[in-house]
Amino acid sequence: MKIFNVFTTFSLIVLSLTTTSCHQQVEKPLNREIVFAMGQAPLNLDPRYATDAASERINRLIYQSLVDFDAQSKPNPSLATWRAISPTEYRFSLNQVPSTFHYPTALISSRLNANDVKATYDSFASLKDSPHAAEFDNIENIIVSDDRTLLFQLKKPDKHFPAKLIIGILPAALIAKNHDFSHSPVGSGPLKLLSWQNQLKLVRVSDGQTISLQEVKDPTVRVLKLLHGEVDVLQGELPPELVKYLQTKADILVKTNSGANFSYLGLNMQDPILKNLKVRQAIAHAIDRDAIIQKVMVSNTRVASAILPPEHYTNQQALPAYAYQPALARKLLLEAGIKLPLKLVYKTSTDAQRVRFATIMQAKMLPAGIQLEIRSLDWGTFFEEVKQGNFQLYGLTWVGIKTPEIYSKAFGSNSIPPNGFNRGRYADLELDQLLLDENWQAVTTRIHNQLPYIPLWYEGQFVAMRKGIHNFSPKPDGNWDDLATISRYAH
Amino acid sequence: MIKQLIGFCIVIFGVLLLTFLLIHLVPGDPVEVMLGESASSADREVLRAELGLNQPIIYQFGHYLNKLAHADFGLSIHTQTPIIELIKTRYPATLKLAFVSLLIGLSIGVPMGIYAALKASKWQDLIVTLVSVRLSAMPAFWLGPMLMLIFAVWLGWLPVSGMESNTSIILPALTLGLGLSAILTRMTRTSLLEVLSDDYIRTARAKGLTESNVIIHHALRAALLPIITIVGLQMGSLLAGTVITETIFSWDGIGRLLVESIEKRDYPVTQACVLLVALSYVVVNLLTDMLYRLADPRVKFSH
Repeated sequence: MKIFNVFTTFSLIVLSLTTTSCHQQVEKPLNREIVFAMGQAPLNLDPRYATDAASERINRLIYQSLVDFDAQSKPNPSLATWRAISPTEYRFSLNQVPSTFHYPTALISSRLNANDVKATYDSFASLKDSPHAAEFDNIENIIVSDDRTLLFQLKKPDKHFPAKLIIGILPAALIAKNHDFSHSPVGSGPLKLLSWQNQLKLVRVSDGQTISLQEVKDPTVRVLKLLHGEVDVLQGELPPELVKYLQTKADILVKTNSGANFSYLGLNMQDPILKNLKVRQAIAHAIDRDAIIQKVMVSNTRVASAILPPEHYTNQQALPAYAYQPALARKLLLEAGIKLPLKLVYKTSTDAQRVRFATIMQAKMLPAGIQLEIRSLDWGTFFEEVKQGNFQLYGLTWVGIKTPEIYSKAFGSNSIPPNGFNRGRYADLELDQLLLDENWQAVTTRIHNQLPYIPLWYEGQFVAMRKGIHNFSPKPDGNWDDLATISRYAH
Repeated sequence: MIKQLIGFCIVIFGVLLLTFLLIHLVPGDPVEVMLGESASSADREVLRAELGLNQPIIYQFGHYLNKLAHADFGLSIHTQTPIIELIKTRYPATLKLAFVSLLIGLSIGVPMGIYAALKASKWQDLIVTLVSVRLSAMPAFWLGPMLMLIFAVWLGWLPVSGMESNTSIILPALTLGLGLSAILTRMTRTSLLEVLSDDYIRTARAKGLTESNVIIHHALRAALLPIITIVGLQMGSLLAGTVITETIFSWDGIGRLLVESIEKRDYPVTQACVLLVALSYVVVNLLTDMLYRLADPRVKFSH
């Protein structure tokens, strides 16, 4: 018995020492490279050109912008605070603690000042091929008062102007030299470029932590690489069964969060059948969102009722979601004088998860008297068809939308392509007036009732990482801002 | 040979003309891709004029040919990278993968085919046939992840994907090479069996030559022609880039670049890739013809 007690005590001491040493190890961050896998590599690291999600997410880390957004998507000071002097004049004051540009060679350094801001926004006037240039057409003049203050003068009043100043600031000296920022970015953000060959390597300025971003297109391969330890973190873009599989693995930690990216069914409002409001209501009631979310989506996915999520500052009053009521949908179709079954063509991309959603919707719409024909097209063709208006129904997602101006761009009658994103060619004088008045609650309600889009869901965000990786969480819009703080501890 | 070179030039010109026209016929244009949906009509027109897209199509084609003559493929719309730089990095990767795959295919397929032919109608032949049928029925999108699971995740011997280490090429090359070896096994077996029943092989045996001498110096040389044909065709498609394998294994080759450029409507990159693929096919065909002549001098006389 005594021997047993000695053995037990010894074991407990060894166990506690091991635990303590493990605990001590956990406290010590390791500087070994952290590998982040993404489904699509960034295309262009010049913030004046970048439009793809990966480039914009990385640019947020390499550059700093004047303005950012808070949790309610209100524009928030980032590099500068601002004050409206008049409806056409905004004065921006850079922060007292100056930011420094991180050049590849440590020998050169320069502080970010008002001239850099002016040079960045002035450069849009000469960039004929920048997709963001149109956003800044309204700038009449930028006057630099001193190193830290500048005045934006506009051609016409724009209440939302500060929210547009989210472009990363570039050094004026390099803009003057036509520097290739798309491949050799120089910014003042928390990360800076180390190299970009097969993979993008960034280094954190504060502690030298290297972060490697690898493009791995195939979701199964991304999971295998994570399991094998070739990759430390991956975020989003996995089918839910793979997420559930990862949740069963002891070496992997999966974190989820609510999403804010809005998925919807777009309708062609010039189609003779879809012009009828009752038909649109019937379609809205023929989609079993709850079943889809429960069965084939990641956790934390929410049913949507408007483009901007409930937490957005413009949403003072939550709108009810359209419930799955096939009998009601059938009744509405009959009231609209439609001969059942109603045949509709639904266009989507070839993405496996999108095709899966379409297939479920097709099955669930049958009891409502709607026969859906699915046409999945390669992304380029699909998007071109949507822009040209060659569709009855299509499925897409708005990613990273922050400002209520999206309603004007997506539904304003003067935003019909090629002048905007009103791809469904929706024209509604009452809505146009509400948009002019910027009565966002009324705008949201009108769109919810008129259904130029049929809202689906805000897909939940998730991140899967190997044990030992800390300080990284999924964000509602899927940004990678936590790469600025991510760390690896001994596991 | 001169005839073939003329044919070569005609094919390349045809490819140039076709890709140029096709890209101008598909809906949308580079200006829309570059400026997105929020640009004004005036901005679009300015850029269209700057890029010369408002010129007559024949003028645009002439301008395109002139640039090609100076090895100027233009810039990628999305990445602003000179396309020649993209090709310089992507094509060697495809070449490397193609040659290693071919090597694997030949080193497994030809010996297996010879063995199966020598053991024709015996159990060894049956096993080789079964294995080769199974291998040729395995698509790359299934075989690739299976090899990853076994050799990378379970055994931990090789990396799952990527191009970072020297061993990264093994799994993608195996995925392509195993499929190729199955085809070569079947082809070598059939071809060799046909030759082995010929009179001159019987004569060689009757003269007292050893079996290995008969097989290697007499039978195999004659059986080589159909194998060269298959190798040529397969090499052509390997050099055109094997999109699925390159995608699964994150192998930055030309096939992946081509598909990505089509998806993103990066027209100049698509044009350059299609031209390169066509060139690869034509060059491999020329080389295959030359190899024919080396393997069988009668081919030269018939010309």
